[in-house]
Amino acid sequence: MGTPFKMTDTPPDVSIKSARKIFLSGASIVWIIPLLALLVALGVAWNSYNARGPEIYVEFEKGAGIKAGETELRYRDVTVGRVEAVGFSRGLGKVVATIRVDKDVAPYIDNSAAFWIVQPEVSAKGITGLSTVLSGVYIEGSWNDEIGTFENRFSGADSAPLIRAGQNGLQIAFRTVGNGQLTDDAPILYRGIEVGRLGKAEIAPLGNFAIVEALIYEEHRNLINTSTRFWESSGFSVSIGPSGAEIDFQSIATLIGGGVTFDTFVSGGGRVQDGTVFEIFSSKEEARSAVFNSSAVDPLELSVIFDENVSGLAVGAAVELSGLNIGQVEALSGIVDYDQFGDSRVRLNVTLSIQPARLGLPGEVSAESALEFLQDRVANGLRARLASASLLTGGLKVELVTVEGAPTARLVAAPDGLPVMPTTKNETSDAAATVEGVFTRINNLPIEELLNSAIALMNSAQSFIGSDELQQTPKDVRTLINEVTGLVASDSVQNIPVTLNATLSRVEALVATLEQEQMARRLMDAVDAVSGAADAFTSSTEGVPELITEMQAVAAKAGEIELQQLVDELTALTRSADAVIGTPDAIALPGSLKNALDELNYTLQELREGGAVENVNQTLASARNAADNIAVSAKDLPQIVDRLSSLFNQASRTIQGYDQGEQISRTAQETLRDIQKAADALASLARTIERNPNSLLLGR
Amino acid sequence: MGIVACTRCTKAWPFGTQICGRCGHKMVSRDFGSLQRVWAFWVMGLMCYVPANLYPMLQTKTLFQKDESTIISGAVELAQHGAFGIAFIILLASVVIPLAKFWAIAFLAISVKSSKMASNHARHFMYEIVEYIGRWSMIDIFVVAILSSLVQLKTLATINPGPASMFFALSVIFTMLSAQAFDSRMIWDDQARDGDSV
Repeated sequence: MGTPFKMTDTPPDVSIKSARKIFLSGASIVWIIPLLALLVALGVAWNSYNARGPEIYVEFEKGAGIKAGETELRYRDVTVGRVEAVGFSRGLGKVVATIRVDKDVAPYIDNSAAFWIVQPEVSAKGITGLSTVLSGVYIEGSWNDEIGTFENRFSGADSAPLIRAGQNGLQIAFRTVGNGQLTDDAPILYRGIEVGRLGKAEIAPLGNFAIVEALIYEEHRNLINTSTRFWESSGFSVSIGPSGAEIDFQSIATLIGGGVTFDTFVSGGGRVQDGTVFEIFSSKEEARSAVFNSSAVDPLELSVIFDENVSGLAVGAAVELSGLNIGQVEALSGIVDYDQFGDSRVRLNVTLSIQPARLGLPGEVSAESALEFLQDRVANGLRARLASASLLTGGLKVELVTVEGAPTARLVAAPDGLPVMPTTKNETSDAAATVEGVFTRINNLPIEELLNSAIALMNSAQSFIGSDELQQTPKDVRTLINEVTGLVASDSVQNIPVTLNATLSRVEALVATLEQEQMARRLMDAVDAVSGAADAFTSSTEGVPELITEMQAVAAKAGEIELQQLVDELTALTRSADAVIGTPDAIALPGSLKNALDELNYTLQELREGGAVENVNQTLASARNAADNIAVSAKDLPQIVDRLSSLFNQASRTIQGYDQGEQISRTAQETLRDIQKAADALASLARTIERNPNSLLLGR
Repeated sequence: MGIVACTRCTKAWPFGTQICGRCGHKMVSRDFGSLQRVWAFWVMGLMCYVPANLYPMLQTKTLFQKDESTIISGAVELAQHGAFGIAFIILLASVVIPLAKFWAIAFLAISVKSSKMASNHARHFMYEIVEYIGRWSMIDIFVVAILSSLVQLKTLATINPGPASMFFALSVIFTMLSAQAFDSRMIWDDQARDGDSV
């Protein structure tokens, strides 16, 4: 100790103090590092724990590629959580995905939330979820934007729900009774544009129709009102019409996957609330025809048991009440019930589906009110029966008719089935009888007689038309006219005044002589002669003044009246004759005949083509009309002839007054003969016409 | 009376010298804070070693999949592909050696108090090995660094270091610090206490 240190010396012993066992008092500053690290770690841990959201458990039918730690939960395509574990529910019934959701999103996940797995899907409507091919599936969540009571157990769907929470749009439902081809997620098209989408179709609890939810997008909401009708546009329609064959389909997507389209045929529909149920019709025509028959309520189903098992009734056949279609046949089956009917015969059990709305009941339209109405009517004798719907196909329909004095019956609901409608005697046999009657009557029609009559008519008509008499008629008439004209224009007639003048001159001279000689007697004779014949004009020369006045009167009469009358009458005769020939009746005579024949021919043709009794009656009526026409036409002829006869008689009488006038007499007599001949010809024409149409057309 | 060697420039000075006259380093015969530092760094190393094994070391993204593997799962995967050699090396470098280091340092630090566990020579040899081999643990970090800098093909294939790589590096660093903080002279102190001359 105290010795100076020398390099060469052995180093002195050093008293070694053991390191003090201090832990806290002599703690090194280096401990700060692990403490800080610990603090940081704890802070991070606490922060991480604090920041992490709650766990939710979503049950799925299938795992569908969910992986713990990888599969994300997304909301509006933003990751808001992650699957932490995938397990099974108790009993391995379902797959339970444990999802850790972000803390800030968690409060919104309430009972409105829905979850589904997004995976790639290829369908007729396109490819969806393509991004998940590479990235793997993810879980999409949907909930509304309101904070609700937190829940942590959910039931997930395999596919996206139609209506996501918080999504706007008109939510309606469709009901389809027939064998529709509704597919899930089918589009709702309007003028070819997708305005909505169908959801998943489900069968109603009672199994009598399918119901499917649908969403009309918010912007197309106004297209729908209460009078809007929907129909299927799936598949394609082939129609062959005057413009050729047409194949019509909306789009490839609807061709394969089906679709629904709609239209509002009538105005005045009210606003549609969410949850309204519409019916889907199978075609546009059906939808259009159903516009006025609202059927938004459940149909009333009735059962009818027919004793007679008649074939011809099919599902879909009409149910009619007073001729109004109120429903259709829903199902057909046989029924054997020894206890009820007393034998083991198979009876026809028909289920009717009646649309209460079509009954037009006042007040609330429901199946119950329709049933009450029908029960009331059944008590008053309303019965169901089968009736022919079509004579051609032999199809049957169900008619509800009121039967007077029917045995009392009631429409009661069987304890375990549908209300049973009482029946009455079917109309089908009547229908058969009607058909048979129609055929019998057609069969009994005197077609051969009719044809014979027609042939005879035609022969007669031909012979009539071809008869010399008829052919001669115009000629005769013409000759008559010519001759009358000739008569009028003949020198003789022309000379009548001259002759009369000369005669009068002579008469004057004679009168002058008579005045002197006072030979009244001879003048009388002369006047008689003048009055009777022409000789008197030439022979008598003596005259008396008294006679002169008489003669003057006679002459005046003869000159002013008779001759004028003669000419007038002849003119009238000519006109009448002309009119006869020119009357529309006479001109139309051959036309009428032809029309009659045409009508007859047409009638026969119609009859041959299988017309009904009415046609035959019509034919006969037409034939009768034709005959009447001809008769009317012919009726005028006797009158004309009469008029001609009277005219001729008058003319004859008039001319007879001038009998002694040789030239006049001769010419007039010839004329008269001709006229007589013409009249005879006309008379025979008239007779022929009068006789033939009746015998020919009426066949007797 | 004795001499004390500077721990930095190894120049020996008479006992009691406070500062090394050559390099100016503070002179202590025994670093009494040494064990505390050892333990502090040891704890830090161990703390970092836990996440280094739990978090993924390597994030491999290819076109179709994203793969994250921890150190052990990566080695297991390599072994499944038949690369037993590489898997062994990785396991050795990343799991066995660090764990052995932790054990060795802890053993050394504890054995300072009670020397009956092993001979002083054996303990010193152990210390030498720990000091020497500790740096090789960084081989994993190098592999990750090289891979992630080489494979950056955008969406086709990308390799990125995972969070575990940082923790692993920290763990290695802290164990190295811990090993360095150990004053190996203390191994021999109990020998002196037992009366053996140095």
